[in-house]
Amino acid sequence: MSKDPTIVAFLCNWCSYTGADLAGTSRMKYNSNIRVIRVMCSGRIGPTFVLKAFREGADGVLICGCHPGDCHYHEGNYKCLRRFHLLQKYVSQLGMDKDRIRLEWISASEGKEFAELVNNFSNKIKEIGKSKVRKTMEEWT
Amino acid sequence: MEEKRIGVYVCWCGTNIAMMVDVKDVSKEMEKLPGVVLAKNYKYMCSDPGQDMIIKDIKKYNLDRIVVAACSPRIHEITFRNALENAGLNPYMLQMANISEQDSWVHTDRIEATRKAKSLVAAAIRRVIHHKPLKKRIVNVHPNTLIIGGGVAGMSAALELSEAGKKSFLIEKSDQLGGTAAKLKLSFPYLNDVVNDISNLIKRVEKSEHIQVILNAEVQEIHGFIGNFNGIVKTTDEKEYSIEFGNTIVATGLKSFDAGKLKNYGYWKYSEVITSIEFELLVKQGVVVNKKGIVPENIAIIHCAGSRNENYNNYCSRTCCMSALKYANQLRNLLPDANIFEMYADMRTFGRGCEELYTSTSRKGIMFLMFDQRAELPLIKEDERGNGVVIEFKELLSGEEIQVPADLVILMVGMEAHENAKSVSHLSGISMDSNGFFIEKHPKLDPVATTTDGVYVVGSCQAPKDIPDSVSQAKAAVARILATILRGTVEVEVTTAEINADICCGCQFCISVCPYGANSFDAANDVSVVNEVLCKGCGTCATACPSGAISTKHFTDEQILSQIEGLMAKVHELEELETN
Repeated sequence: MSKDPTIVAFLCNWCSYTGADLAGTSRMKYNSNIRVIRVMCSGRIGPTFVLKAFREGADGVLICGCHPGDCHYHEGNYKCLRRFHLLQKYVSQLGMDKDRIRLEWISASEGKEFAELVNNFSNKIKEIGKSKVRKTMEEWT
Repeated sequence: MEEKRIGVYVCWCGTNIAMMVDVKDVSKEMEKLPGVVLAKNYKYMCSDPGQDMIIKDIKKYNLDRIVVAACSPRIHEITFRNALENAGLNPYMLQMANISEQDSWVHTDRIEATRKAKSLVAAAIRRVIHHKPLKKRIVNVHPNTLIIGGGVAGMSAALELSEAGKKSFLIEKSDQLGGTAAKLKLSFPYLNDVVNDISNLIKRVEKSEHIQVILNAEVQEIHGFIGNFNGIVKTTDEKEYSIEFGNTIVATGLKSFDAGKLKNYGYWKYSEVITSIEFELLVKQGVVVNKKGIVPENIAIIHCAGSRNENYNNYCSRTCCMSALKYANQLRNLLPDANIFEMYADMRTFGRGCEELYTSTSRKGIMFLMFDQRAELPLIKEDERGNGVVIEFKELLSGEEIQVPADLVILMVGMEAHENAKSVSHLSGISMDSNGFFIEKHPKLDPVATTTDGVYVVGSCQAPKDIPDSVSQAKAAVARILATILRGTVEVEVTTAEINADICCGCQFCISVCPYGANSFDAANDVSVVNEVLCKGCGTCATACPSGAISTKHFTDEQILSQIEGLMAKVHELEELETN
């Protein structure tokens, strides 16, 4: 099982983290290779966090926020979206597959969608393979 | 770096966590991590003995940071923060690892779930090292309350506040108070006349000097936070009210299921078919006739119209079975010779007096027929002989395909959330479930509050409910609100942004991204400043700040980055352990 890729997920407190909790209270099952970090808003999630996750050996990074129009802080998710597009570009320029990062909207009621998303993204990352970022960085430093 | 003294507590949650996560192994392994003084596991960490253990350990071992690996912080963070405080530690020196909702309950491989727990707890330990004590912010509570919805729940809340001499604004969308309950003639299970009760309630509300009723009105805007909200209410004739209040009660009620959606029942096609709400109106007028004006001889009451069916709503509306029995009694009294058929899928008559109502009704010459809600619903067709309709279905108790003639069919339509539930949820900052009902803070321990402090949900907008449940919930919400009003002050989140003026380059980027206008520019010093009262701590300015001058308290870069490190370090350590 250790061959399984590791996914670091950043979830906003109000919609996505609650949705992930709902998947739990509803006893939905999904891949166990995901590790969640809670932030208050997807607008808090910047390139630093995502790149740090890759640096530390994540194979994929999942970002989830409230659906457009539903942000607890009005528009943090839009800011996240804008940053995400730039970040995807940046990640490709670094020579990484841009599909290693993914942004999805998960509402507080979408436990099932969250579980499906994790499995789906996990399969995608398996397809892409393990990331070499951590190893390369270690060789350099 | 001074030495940290961390205590780690891994909860079993009975078997909820312990079944899928080897909690003993997790706590044993955490003991080895730098800064960890002790790691323990216990059956119920949130219980009094569990909390006492943490409090005693903090004092005995001089712990300065606590990690609790248990359920979601959304459920018990406040519990453990209070425990820290009781032990004399700043409540923000706590970090939780969610090994229940996001681990033990969603995975099936115990080894994997245990590994995941280890990495989540290790991440929390790394994070808590960087936690800083935060000073609580205390704000005054405005004694007025906004109540959205003038049904039984909203009115009960307003009256309860009024009893305490506290003012409320009762905002009703329609031109009269009373909501759905005002449409009813009798209440179940005792078949009491409810018309008087409701009109008395309305009269008391109208008479109260502490309740300002605004009819034909909708709340347009709500700003602020617990204790200090302000909002705008607009009536249909364009009158605008600007109001201030300390708490909000959402009591927007329900909408009846649209019977026209049920393709087997021909609601729009047959004048014999009516809804339960239409039937209430008939009995209130005292004349039971179908839409053709004919007094019926054969009456069918069909349960679960739009409920408990995957093509419509999956959930049960909780009240319709009892209402259907109530109708059978009303019909038996009004039309002693009529044939009455109760067509049910499952009879759900729970609660005091309700099963008894079922028993007594079944002795009144009423025919009870059962259909399969999971199969094709009963089919209503025109009677070829020209006498109204016939209802065709497989009767489950006899196992026979039967046809029941009817010249009046009452569809027991379920409750749904209003179409505008979404806009109400945006307005008040609360969440909805997939059916559009508002989500309470905790399904068991806090069914009245929401995750937004100072906003409460009562009545059928939270889930289908009968009158007494709505009233109970309304009064419970008021008890909570009165507590804050009596105290006069309330603690609010302090996890706001802060700007390091030494680093700030004065680019004002943070000002352009803030949705609350909390950041402003101090031209004299050429730096941005945060207004902590307006800041809600979303952190988008911290992420936007190009010079790294802004940090969001309790969600600092340092804290999150070390959390990532801790998370991944454990993943790799365990992986390497396995390969060697």
